[in-house]
Amino acid sequence: MTQVVYDKPQEHMGMPLPTPKVAMWLFLVTEIMFFTALIGTYIILRQGTPAQSPHKWPMPHQVHLIEWIGALNTFVLICSSFTVVLAHHAAVKADMKKAASYIGITLALGAVFLGIKAYEYNSKIQHDILPGHIGETLPYPEKNLPSAEKGESNKSMFAIEREKHDHAAGMQYFHRVQLQLEEVKKSSIDAEIQKECNALLDKMTSATAGEGQAAAFHRPPSPAVVGEQVNEILEKAEKKGVALHLTPAIPFGNLWASCYFAMTGFHALHVFGGIVVFVIVLLIAALGRFGPQHATMLELIGLYWHFVDIVWIFLFPLLYLV
Amino acid sequence: MSETGHATTHDAAHDLRVKAYFTVFIALSVFTAISFLANEAVRQGWIGVYASFAIIIGVAVIKAFLVGMIFMHLNFDWGKVYFIIVPIFILGVMMMLVLMPDIVIAWQPGQNPLEPPVSTTGTR
Repeated sequence: MTQVVYDKPQEHMGMPLPTPKVAMWLFLVTEIMFFTALIGTYIILRQGTPAQSPHKWPMPHQVHLIEWIGALNTFVLICSSFTVVLAHHAAVKADMKKAASYIGITLALGAVFLGIKAYEYNSKIQHDILPGHIGETLPYPEKNLPSAEKGESNKSMFAIEREKHDHAAGMQYFHRVQLQLEEVKKSSIDAEIQKECNALLDKMTSATAGEGQAAAFHRPPSPAVVGEQVNEILEKAEKKGVALHLTPAIPFGNLWASCYFAMTGFHALHVFGGIVVFVIVLLIAALGRFGPQHATMLELIGLYWHFVDIVWIFLFPLLYLV
Repeated sequence: MSETGHATTHDAAHDLRVKAYFTVFIALSVFTAISFLANEAVRQGWIGVYASFAIIIGVAVIKAFLVGMIFMHLNFDWGKVYFIIVPIFILGVMMMLVLMPDIVIAWQPGQNPLEPPVSTTGTR
């Protein structure tokens, strides 16, 4: 008599995935929350710019963001994502020399990305577009002044409240520009630009005319007027190709700069972290210890690198395009 | 099946995967160009702001989807990791929704507090 013995299939503890992969995904979701906090904050701060203000969130050209450079950086990261997945593919096929080559190319592309980012940061530093430096107020356009017939008294109240609110920051900007203009006075630049800078400096500093002489008090210009004139001087200097270190006045510029440097700075740190890992992989390869057993490691490194790519895929349009 | 037959099938599967990676790479490059051109189009006035916004964000979502599905092998692993990933996206959206009333829909200086708050858009 035959007997049929039914063996229950052996049950395994844990996930239907290799444990390191689970760990990497858990880490990646914490990183998703991290960048969601940064990007989400940027979105709601941008959407929170007051409707009553005639000034809107800065346009890319106002803050010296060049779209094609951002697009180039996006393409560089896409290429690096492609090469890192090919590296894993080569490791699975036990072609470790190819895998190491692809890792080297990915490292090089990551370095190119950081180089382009450094160039962009240098541009911001040269234009003094840094958090806490930028002038926040510009004169309100005529059409926004109160009109009794239209009953738009709210708008003048808004303008007054904004200037009161921004007074301390405005005077900080005033003094910063004053110091910069004094530096420009000592340097030798284009004559016309120099003349305009000196005229602005005179207006900002001289309250009386002549030593020992009674003179009418000249009210110094407000930070908003200073900002407007600085912007005009910078525009003329740019047309003439003159490099001028003056801080522009860009409404909501400090908020923009804080968001920009926070988001792209943390992203760049993540790219750098990935590059460090690629260096370690190449060192392992150089020591001759790189083998098919490292295929899973390459897959996990690839997961991290693709995540960094996905973050930039969202950062690029939100900062440069939209 | 003979060993050479198995190896051939295995190699064919590998080649198909490389082809898939390359196709996704080309698609990502094309989509990046599309979003850049959409931005240029709105600057030239050929399309509206909202249309370009929809194209650019839509393209970004498609690119993220392609990278996630093909490069990150989620087409194989989704069923095993979705419960880790999905709650995070829900939390992310919730975080923005929770902060929105205080920052976006808020009273601005100089506004009469007895009037309802002004809904700001802030978009260009």
